[in-house]
Amino acid sequence: MSSLYQIEYERKELPKKYFQIGLLFLCLGIIGIAAGYFFDSHRTAFNNIILLTFFISISVASLFLVAIEYVAGAVWSTPFRRISEFYSGFVLFLPVLLIPLLFNLGNVFHWMHPEVVEADKILKGKAPYLNVDFFMIRVSAFILLWFVFYFFIYKNSKKQDVTHDQYLTTKNIRLSAVFIPIFAITISFTSFDWLMSLEPHWFSTIFGVYYFSGSILAALAIVTFTAVWLNENGYLVNGLKKDHYYSLGALMFAFTNFWAYIAFSQFLLIWYANLPEETFWFLDRWEGNWIFITIGLMFIRFIIPYFGLLSQPSKMDPKRLKVISLWILIAHFYDLYWLAMPNLNKKEFLFSWIEISFILVTIGLLIVGFFKLSGKNNLVAIGDPKLKRGIDFRL
Amino acid sequence: MSFVDYTKEIQVVEGKQPLRTIDDIISKPLETKPDKKFYIAISVTLTMLMFGVIGLGLTFWYGIGMWGNNNPVGWAYDIVNFVFWVGIGHAGTLISAILYLFRQKWRTGIARFAEGMTIFAVMTAGLFPLIHVGRPWLDGYLFPYPNQHSLWVNFTSPLLWDVFAVSTYLTVSLIFWYVGLIPDFASLRERTANKFKKITYSIFSLGWRFSNRHWQHYEMVYLILAGFATPLVLSVHTIVSFDFAVSILPGWHTTIFPPYFVAGAVFSGFAMVQNVLIFVRRIFNYEHIITLNTLEKMNKIMLVTGSMVGYAYAMEFFIAWYSGVQAEQFTFFNRALGPYAWAYWIMVTCNVVSPQLFWFKKIRRSIPIMFVVAVFVNVGMWFERFVIVVTSLSRDYLPSSWAYYTPTLVDAMILIGSFGFFFTWILLFTKALPVVSIAEVKAVVDGAQPSHKDH
Repeated sequence: MSSLYQIEYERKELPKKYFQIGLLFLCLGIIGIAAGYFFDSHRTAFNNIILLTFFISISVASLFLVAIEYVAGAVWSTPFRRISEFYSGFVLFLPVLLIPLLFNLGNVFHWMHPEVVEADKILKGKAPYLNVDFFMIRVSAFILLWFVFYFFIYKNSKKQDVTHDQYLTTKNIRLSAVFIPIFAITISFTSFDWLMSLEPHWFSTIFGVYYFSGSILAALAIVTFTAVWLNENGYLVNGLKKDHYYSLGALMFAFTNFWAYIAFSQFLLIWYANLPEETFWFLDRWEGNWIFITIGLMFIRFIIPYFGLLSQPSKMDPKRLKVISLWILIAHFYDLYWLAMPNLNKKEFLFSWIEISFILVTIGLLIVGFFKLSGKNNLVAIGDPKLKRGIDFRL
Repeated sequence: MSFVDYTKEIQVVEGKQPLRTIDDIISKPLETKPDKKFYIAISVTLTMLMFGVIGLGLTFWYGIGMWGNNNPVGWAYDIVNFVFWVGIGHAGTLISAILYLFRQKWRTGIARFAEGMTIFAVMTAGLFPLIHVGRPWLDGYLFPYPNQHSLWVNFTSPLLWDVFAVSTYLTVSLIFWYVGLIPDFASLRERTANKFKKITYSIFSLGWRFSNRHWQHYEMVYLILAGFATPLVLSVHTIVSFDFAVSILPGWHTTIFPPYFVAGAVFSGFAMVQNVLIFVRRIFNYEHIITLNTLEKMNKIMLVTGSMVGYAYAMEFFIAWYSGVQAEQFTFFNRALGPYAWAYWIMVTCNVVSPQLFWFKKIRRSIPIMFVVAVFVNVGMWFERFVIVVTSLSRDYLPSSWAYYTPTLVDAMILIGSFGFFFTWILLFTKALPVVSIAEVKAVVDGAQPSHKDH
């Protein structure tokens, strides 16, 4: 049965010039990365992990936001759900980001060297989990799973644009409900595989939740920025007001707190118990000039967005939201840098053209990817039965 | 599969009825004399409470030796009960504060009752640390105050943080509850003919006259209190988890404890709220206010939080193995296969397996089944704390000091007494105050909201 109303919506072409800027960034970055692999493959591979985990965050957590909307029956986010759907499409790029790493895995994971494992009793014990074959199976199975759910959820949503069939929503609710537990498991083990096992002796049960909290923030930030920008420039439907902005801002605020809560819990418990098999991971991030990055993390990831979004008006202010959401995206990148890089360089952090190349690729890919994935598609899920309620949403 | 129309919002309160009937139906239990059923119920709970009183009397007279605690299991029933009851309290604040911030209107029917349960549960929980010190006349020293003995509390101990966290929580919950009650007190004041009641309600309604200005202030206060209560409720069970997790004992020291405990607390709290509400809505004829849709939503939350708890169990297990730390590995092996394996598997079955039934819509909407599942959840959550506390202590680092802990009759009596204490308060509450918020429910009935649709 089709819904009874029509929403006025006209698909407008996105400005080409941003695409060109994105493409320029992407090309420059790729040249930089290629040079990086040529000159210092070790360090470039570490950076590549940051890039990969960043885009896993963007894509998979965006799909999670879509799934949550379906399962919870939320209406306020329906007018910009399509944007999150586009970002979940970044799962298509993950294999590309992965390929250069595949040739350099031994450079980053020292548990991949049989002679190292042989000499290390602890690593030997972990070998049933930390071994190349199982690692590759996990990585490819996870990407495949994400792709399958993205493919079907997105397909149904797009089909609804034309058919207005309410049953497609029911279908997507079911898919989403199945996706959520799969998401919880895959995102946790992804964080163990790509980030925690960089230091294979270290372990923390909350680590999966830590990566989850950051990923959700990144997905929320990117959808907030895009939604506010598109809405201001008239690419979305009429009627999106501060009530919608407020909800996005409040969620970013909530997850900023959630991130801090998780990060602090992990730190406090390890610091308090003071067991050497756990504390060394934090010490690596505290010694040398890493201390500045660590202290910076508290400010960049928590204190600044916290005060930036604390007051009620600031959660509704589109200008503020755009700044803070970009800030949160940068903070997520910074956080991943903090997680990955101290395993490469103890005592001193490095930042040079290799890191800059990766930042260029990130920006470029975000823009180019969004253009490519949105293509000729509607930017709003115009066939969604909840859309009218979503537009009418008031606090 | 029936057809669902997503273009329309599901009404929180079923049926379109005059606002006056809402007043009538919610205040009815307060305006009628308690019936026979009430007396039977309260005699049962008071009997249970008496068991607790006797158990406590024996404890105070003969000492803590009456309990099953031994060396190494120095913490057992008392701390298990404490954590269990604090956990029960969490659903109330989640419903009243967090769901309020998320603007979930379906909370209105159940918020008042859940908040009340929070207060009673925290009161029940508060008894246990006071008992556990063994010499309850020295409880005052739990609070840091300058005294002539120059005795100070240990500020680095999470047990002290508990004192602050739980007492703050109780205070804020009480204020939150009371603020929500003010408009209802005013409604009751207008209705009653009894002089004594009129004076009482007048005092507690603080001169509320339903004016626009009052509502404006009220909404603001409520929002701010919700904002305060939200981090507070998370912090309480976080600090309870710190009681264990800051130690170095395997099975206690693990970084996922804070969010895991919070999820577990919400889980058990929802189960308890659902259990009691099933009776309340039936006895007081609130089926159209606390609808089946509301209960279904509660069941969904139980499914989510139960699965989160399951995730934490699995993660603990996996990381214990992955860590390569022998003591960690042994602890978890011992939990699942050691002398307390029975408790462990009760916990897993009740907490992880049974809520998975809520994947099915039919079960989510079947009152008998959901009731049974929620009872299972309550049992399972009690056992979770038992498993955590007892298995880790009974077999710690030194095999020569291992011992099996068996609770005594006195332990059991105190546990029963805590249920008696809690349910006695609940029963008194149902006859003393409106268990559903009159003002909030009126705001969500069909036609009460201004429509934005065609203006």
